[in-house]
Amino acid sequence: MQDSLILLVVLPLLLAFLLPVIARYLGNLSGLTGSLLLLFNILLLANAWNSVGYSPKVILLGGFAAPLGIVFYIDKLNMLFAILTTIIALLLWPCRTHNTDVREYVLWLLLLAGCYGVILSGDLFNIYVFYELLAVASYGLVTLPATGASYIAGFRYLMISALGSAFALLGIALIYSFTGSVNIAHLAQIIPDHLHHIWGYSAALLLIIGFGVKAELFPVNFWVAEVYSHADKRVTALLAGVVSKIAVLIILRFIILLFPWQDIFNFLLLLGIIGVIVGEFAAFYAQDLLRLLAFSSIAQSGLVIIAFACATEAGIMAGIALAIHHLLLKPALFLLASHCDRSINDLAGLAKSSPWASALFVILALSLLGVPPLPGFWAKLLLLQSLMAEQYLLLLVLVLLATIVEAAYLFRLFMLFYQRQEMPEQKRITIQGQELYPVITLSGILLLGLFFLPLFMDSLREIAMQTSNIEAYINTVLGKVQHIGEGNI
Amino acid sequence: MQRWTTILFLTGLSIVLFAIITPLVLGQSPMLVGKLINASAVNDTGAANLVTAVVLAYRGLDTLGELAILFTAATAIGIILGTTDKTQTTSSPTAGFIVATAAKVLFPLLLVFALYIILHGHLTPGGGFQGGAVLAAAFFLLTLADSGNNIKHKVTQVIEALAGTAFIVLGLVSFALQGVFLQPWLDKGELGSLFSAGSLPLLYLALGLKVGAELANLLSSLANVEK
Repeated sequence: MQDSLILLVVLPLLLAFLLPVIARYLGNLSGLTGSLLLLFNILLLANAWNSVGYSPKVILLGGFAAPLGIVFYIDKLNMLFAILTTIIALLLWPCRTHNTDVREYVLWLLLLAGCYGVILSGDLFNIYVFYELLAVASYGLVTLPATGASYIAGFRYLMISALGSAFALLGIALIYSFTGSVNIAHLAQIIPDHLHHIWGYSAALLLIIGFGVKAELFPVNFWVAEVYSHADKRVTALLAGVVSKIAVLIILRFIILLFPWQDIFNFLLLLGIIGVIVGEFAAFYAQDLLRLLAFSSIAQSGLVIIAFACATEAGIMAGIALAIHHLLLKPALFLLASHCDRSINDLAGLAKSSPWASALFVILALSLLGVPPLPGFWAKLLLLQSLMAEQYLLLLVLVLLATIVEAAYLFRLFMLFYQRQEMPEQKRITIQGQELYPVITLSGILLLGLFFLPLFMDSLREIAMQTSNIEAYINTVLGKVQHIGEGNI
Repeated sequence: MQRWTTILFLTGLSIVLFAIITPLVLGQSPMLVGKLINASAVNDTGAANLVTAVVLAYRGLDTLGELAILFTAATAIGIILGTTDKTQTTSSPTAGFIVATAAKVLFPLLLVFALYIILHGHLTPGGGFQGGAVLAAAFFLLTLADSGNNIKHKVTQVIEALAGTAFIVLGLVSFALQGVFLQPWLDKGELGSLFSAGSLPLLYLALGLKVGAELANLLSSLANVEK
């Protein structure tokens, strides 16, 4: 059954290739084909979820055994991210009835194919190829509004992203030249012991910086604010919510399987905490709402990185919880905020003119901050617990301080919303049907999730346990006996 | 100020990268997987050109991904350049009688050469990407020599879509037959003959047509913007 998960990647590619021609006959209906495909993908994933069970599975591509061919690795974590990606993509799918450019759908499909490939692949170079696919598709999507600002944002994004890709490729080349393999399970047998020297560290840094561009990691994240405030709102929501989390997922796999060294963990902790502090302070000084959300997104990614860099089961669990929370919440916030791309001070008295939108925004933002009993609180609590367990007290204090800064700017925003001031009619946030149902669905998932909290925690714990089990990963992919040519190094 | 910091950053980066790369000894890497592939590729795929065996069989999904990246880039460029499919004004000058005639003479030769490279990809160096580039160059030449010979956008688009579909369908057929995506199928034939290596030459044909049509498309959208 799980073999059919390869269709997740293949079908979007097939539809993307065909769509420019199909669209000539279907016209405005061609957007629907994408929605149907995503529905089919959800069915496929739901069907495979049970059959995967507790033991991970492997899909061999081309029928060649592990280190020779490419493999897809299917475990609960990958499935979970694939499912969330599909749900968010379905909610954000740009199904319009008029004024459609079919190439927009094509790029969305290619971006999704890239996402699925990066999530599921168990091969370093294959991950790079699909990462490039989603990167190139996102360059195109960022420039969709066809304004000067979006072109400039897209160009900067392309430049920094291309630099990151070059770094990642160099890292892969370094690893390949020392090990002669790109299969992650195979490398997990070799790298931790045999490459524990300057080149191993160089490769690790190159890969982390390379994939860190999409993960909004500290030194390579200055594209974030500009791109998120000028791109199409749905693209922004997808990039901030889904794509950044997928890149973080890849970094998690790298540090668990390939580079489980304390120095690398410390390095990531450092980058993570700088990201949190810089992000929160930048958000504090941000002058418009979209930028504020973009900077807070950087800070949230930093939190996830810190959690993962604890490299304990508790840390991984906290990281996954934070990632899922942000993945569901940020798209909703960006969609709500998409109508007010102007100075924050213009939002004074917003609650009077659009009470529902403001109330929803406040609830979601409180969850982002981590106010109990909202879901964000439980995710942040897990992070603090795992930091306590590892005795990272300084980090704990810094995270709490950053949260205070976050609280300061969010409450300033709420005060503005509920100020008694008349609002000119044209400044109202009006949420039309197009944005309404994704926002409602996402907030619904988050709030209803609260009722299933114990259940959710249990399955998260299981996923974290499965993720940190290196032996299981290697044995699943390579079989139990093979130790191919390890003596040669 | 900004320029100097950029220069400083780039210098530092290049020194670091240089320091990482230079101590590596060329040609002494362990080649764990490479050796295994060298030993088993002919048996597994029946392709005389082992690079093709790697590109289409062992790492077929990477190739599909690269094909998709090229397509993505072309689509994104199309979006940025817009669809100004203006009615052609034939006022732009031709490159002159000699060039135009030479282009017409070279065109069929280039087509044959491109098809040769594509169809012999499993035997000799070359294959879909290279052959596809030559194929596109043939059409480039015609357009550059005489701008009246504009590439039919609609035709290349159909070819491109069908070729891309063919590549995936070839993979899906093996998925339906053997439960594995992109597994080489069909008879492997005699090593080194034109009809050998099973489905690999078909994959290369689809790949070559797709790349060729893709690049031709790209040129035609560029040409439309120039005017």
